[in-house]
Amino acid sequence: MGEHILSWMTFFPVIGAAVIAFIPSERKEVIKTVAAAAAAVPLILAVQLFMTFDRTTAGFQFIEHYTWIKSFNIEYFMGIDGLSVPMVLLTAFLSFICVIASWGINKSVKGYFALFLILEAGMFGVFCALDFFLFYVFWEVMLLPMYFLIGIWGGPRREYAAIKFFLYTLAGSVLMLLAMIAFYLHTSDPVTGGHTFNMLHMFDQANHSEWLQGTNVRHVLWLALFIGFAIKVPVFPFHTWLPDAHVEAPTAVSVILAGVLLKMGTYGILRISYPMLPDQALWFSYTLALLGTINILYGAYCAMAQTDMKKLVAYSSVSHMGYVMLGMAAMTSAGINGAVLQMFNHGTITAMMFLCVGVVYDRAHTREINAFGGLGMQMPLYFSFFSFALFAALGLPGLSGFVSEAMIFMGVFPVYRTITIIAALGIIIGAAYVLWMLQRVFLGPKNEKWDSLPDINAREMFTLVPIGILVLLLGVYPMPVLDLMKVTLNNLIKVVAG
Amino acid sequence: MELNLNIPSWSDLRFWLPEAILCITFLVALLGDLVVRGRRTWVPFAVSVAGLITAGAYAVAAMNHGLDAGQFQGHTIMGSLMIVDGMAGFFRLLFIFASLVTVLFAWTSEEIMGKRRENKGEFYALTVLLTAAMMVMAEARDLLMLFLSMEAVGLISYVMAGYMRTSLRSSEASLKYVLFGAVSSAIMLYGMSLLYGMTGAMEFDGIRNALISGTVDPFALLVVVVLILAGMSYKIAAVPFHYWCPDVYEGAPTPVSAIFSVGPKAAGFALMIRFFYTTFAAGTDAGTQLVQDINWPLLVAVMSVATMTYGNLVALRQTNVKRMLAYSSIAHVGYLLMGFVLLSSAGLASILFYLLVYTLMNLGAFFYVVAINNHLKSEELSDYVGIGFRAPWAGAMMVIFLASLTGVPPFAGFVGKFYLFTAVLDKQWFWLAIVAALNSVVSLYYYFKVVRAMFLSTPAEGTDMSPLKLHWLQYVVLAMLAIPTLALGLFFEEFKGLADMAIGMMGG
Amino acid sequence: MTAMPFLGTATSALTGHYATVLIFVLVGFVFAGLALGVAKLIRPSNPSPAKMTTYECGELPIGSSWIRFNVRFYLIALFFIVFDVEVIFLYPWAVMFRTLYPIAGLGAIVFWEMIIFLGILTLGLAYVWAKGDLDWVKKLTERPENGAATAALEEEASAP
Repeated sequence: MGEHILSWMTFFPVIGAAVIAFIPSERKEVIKTVAAAAAAVPLILAVQLFMTFDRTTAGFQFIEHYTWIKSFNIEYFMGIDGLSVPMVLLTAFLSFICVIASWGINKSVKGYFALFLILEAGMFGVFCALDFFLFYVFWEVMLLPMYFLIGIWGGPRREYAAIKFFLYTLAGSVLMLLAMIAFYLHTSDPVTGGHTFNMLHMFDQANHSEWLQGTNVRHVLWLALFIGFAIKVPVFPFHTWLPDAHVEAPTAVSVILAGVLLKMGTYGILRISYPMLPDQALWFSYTLALLGTINILYGAYCAMAQTDMKKLVAYSSVSHMGYVMLGMAAMTSAGINGAVLQMFNHGTITAMMFLCVGVVYDRAHTREINAFGGLGMQMPLYFSFFSFALFAALGLPGLSGFVSEAMIFMGVFPVYRTITIIAALGIIIGAAYVLWMLQRVFLGPKNEKWDSLPDINAREMFTLVPIGILVLLLGVYPMPVLDLMKVTLNNLIKVVAG
Repeated sequence: MELNLNIPSWSDLRFWLPEAILCITFLVALLGDLVVRGRRTWVPFAVSVAGLITAGAYAVAAMNHGLDAGQFQGHTIMGSLMIVDGMAGFFRLLFIFASLVTVLFAWTSEEIMGKRRENKGEFYALTVLLTAAMMVMAEARDLLMLFLSMEAVGLISYVMAGYMRTSLRSSEASLKYVLFGAVSSAIMLYGMSLLYGMTGAMEFDGIRNALISGTVDPFALLVVVVLILAGMSYKIAAVPFHYWCPDVYEGAPTPVSAIFSVGPKAAGFALMIRFFYTTFAAGTDAGTQLVQDINWPLLVAVMSVATMTYGNLVALRQTNVKRMLAYSSIAHVGYLLMGFVLLSSAGLASILFYLLVYTLMNLGAFFYVVAINNHLKSEELSDYVGIGFRAPWAGAMMVIFLASLTGVPPFAGFVGKFYLFTAVLDKQWFWLAIVAALNSVVSLYYYFKVVRAMFLSTPAEGTDMSPLKLHWLQYVVLAMLAIPTLALGLFFEEFKGLADMAIGMMGG
Repeated sequence: MTAMPFLGTATSALTGHYATVLIFVLVGFVFAGLALGVAKLIRPSNPSPAKMTTYECGELPIGSSWIRFNVRFYLIALFFIVFDVEVIFLYPWAVMFRTLYPIAGLGAIVFWEMIIFLGILTLGLAYVWAKGDLDWVKKLTERPENGAATAALEEEASAP
């Protein structure tokens, strides 16, 4: 496995899905066990990656490079660097947690786990692909399983949410497709001279044709790529699919959506847009910072207005992804390192929040904040987990969210002073909606209706505890993750900002 | 008096074996149907299947032989009426495959094989003959042959559309098809007669030579191009000559609609490619047009955008799956036409490749409708609620077809669109590519309306949710289409090469 | 060469051809007139209103032309056209056959080509016959569909 560790990670879940497809649908426990095993193997491999990853180089590692479609020069080209490693780890970790968290699924178990594993494969593929075509295929492969996971196992408005998610993302990706083809047609392989999808060749400006060096062309291409990625992030005017999708999706799928899929947008910008169009990245950075600030404030305000817990968490994601964009716009070491760390941390924290919302929804079958009250007495253990997650989300020092947000602000303050000051207001609003929700749900007089609610059970603990440990650990000592990425990211800044 | 005869020699027939075999198969199937007096319907069925397989084997052998020889620029046969070259070989295989799966699937279709049908044998015999006629369309290199083959396809289609004699819908479809067909044939024939009058030639290369050397009035030539384009657009159902299409597809029995949506369209494209690229452009990779005054690429580009946009927008509102697929097939013609305007061999090869994947996925979608119609006796979207769970494997295959029609990776439809877009962007037709890309987003909505009904929507209380028993042959045929749809999305090198080669080996 | 007034400066060869045409036309008129005239003389004259109407294949010649014709007329017309075309093909073939027959190897091809063509047409005739389409009243074994959509269409069709 050592040689092809990335391929094994990516395709082991597919094998799992194929096996599940041939298990009779009545054998639900067998299906779930196979799914857990299929998700566990990538997790083990991810640990191995973490141990063996060379932290001193900015280059790509664990490279697999084969010809795929010769006539188009499409390659099967996988490899990871400091930017993708945290994402791969996050994906492996959350996917396994989510399979466990999905144990309670009872409707069409077979389809659910098969689709979930295909989704996992798509996520790994996106983070490992170094061939633009391959990247695009993986990017799109995720859409179909996600559509079904939201649409079949989701809440009451699932049909609407599923197609909305699909339409928004596809609209973004076709723009990306056209930009990708334009890059393909105007990038030459330095060795053969033919067109190429190889991202490393695309990064090198010397390989771009004369047409591709025109400023207007590059602006248009940047915008096409940006819109494709921005819809996934989601950046402010394109965000409306997110609350719908998150609210309607089943718990585990919400976790994956918020924990991993949103990161793909910012990952794409850092992986593709920044190195391929560095001058445009600089040209756009102020707008990006502005959009990030809008995301932070708008998301936070919207979160405050929500009466549905899950919707509140969903809007908090919009807000937190704004921090990532702000950090990316700074183009400073602290800013970008903070942004990627925030991507990782938000993945874990938001996963915890969604899992906690799922816990109460499974029991009470409602997520109305105002329907609860005094739940802290009834479910003390649950209270502690949820408040831990919420405190991490509002950036309490000592928990991981604080570290990354602080780094982002430190990185961006010297560059965009006013914007930073305005954006910092987001932290206050964040504290407000988090604490207000906590108060309404867990404190105050107890609602008699919920007298019989049992506290959190062992399986739910099993999903929450590992994430909690990680959040605490990275809050105190973020170096394990920062070490992975800093060489790569500092190199990226050098490429973009010179 | 000197004899200047264009007498076909029998030896030409060896290049024309697949077509000859199909013609004989048609006669034998018809005769067989007579002998068994319409009772043992497996006789015409078996004869058709055997004939199609034999013809297919010969077509493959001819293709291989041509490829081995290194050059397959074509043999002009039957005087100079037809040419058998790489492109004709490609289309032969396409048509034979499409007809074969249609015949196989029709065997299980209630609409074709239902108890009250008395002309079952005719369906099989006519499908075989239709195949032969379509193949001739792809081979014609003479105005006369062009018209004859188009009319042959048309006449057979009219009969097939009206297969369900006692159904008003089917008869209406047939009549509409005849009327529109007659008008458009007349229009095209008028254009062709003008062209003959101006150039004095019937063969495509003769016309080209006359156009190069002679002084042809540009306006008259524009009229000719528009008239001939109109006739061909009718065949491929491009806007504004598409009116017949939804009604015919909806009214005709579904297996017939399936072959209509693929076969005659592909044949129309073959014919358009050969006609326009050998008469109005200097070969496939010309880069320029022969007659500069006529900007026919722009004309077709506008038609392409109108076709895809119209097809997609109207499909959005359909509640009948079959009718929706009819409009979607109009939209796909729009995509295909993009490749036609580029004056590059990549553009033409992308059309061929797209036709190949379109055949797979569109036939698959139609066949699923057939399979469901056998049980539900309906094609209404509202009746599809929950149907996906009643036959999960077939449902999953339908999802593959629909996702592929949308153009989502990793399915073949995506590769088809990718190849088209690459060719379009390479020639810097940016607006065309952008419109097409946005159109494919629109198409997602209506294709997935079907998926939504099949899997997502909650069935009303009391809806029958018992598993559906589909015929084993239906699973086999659906898999024959679904597996390549998936495989071609991941490994398309070979078939892309085939399409490239077919265009590279297009004879004049 | 003398220029004939109605043919301009046509060559004598052409004039010869046109003269043939002219004679053919004249003979045609004479023949028709003769036949009608002789018939008029020798046939019994017993006119009735029905007999006096213009010949319209049994349909009333006066009145709205937007009426339903019996569908059987179309069928007969179709068969007629099929076999009419056959004859059209036979003529040029017959003319060329005499020229081509002596050429070695070609004669057999030309002969068998027409045989195959006629064979296919005969098969068509046999098919039509066996299927009962030559009967003036064909027995239908198919019953009308009773699907919902068809019923709706039928209603529509029967509405005034």
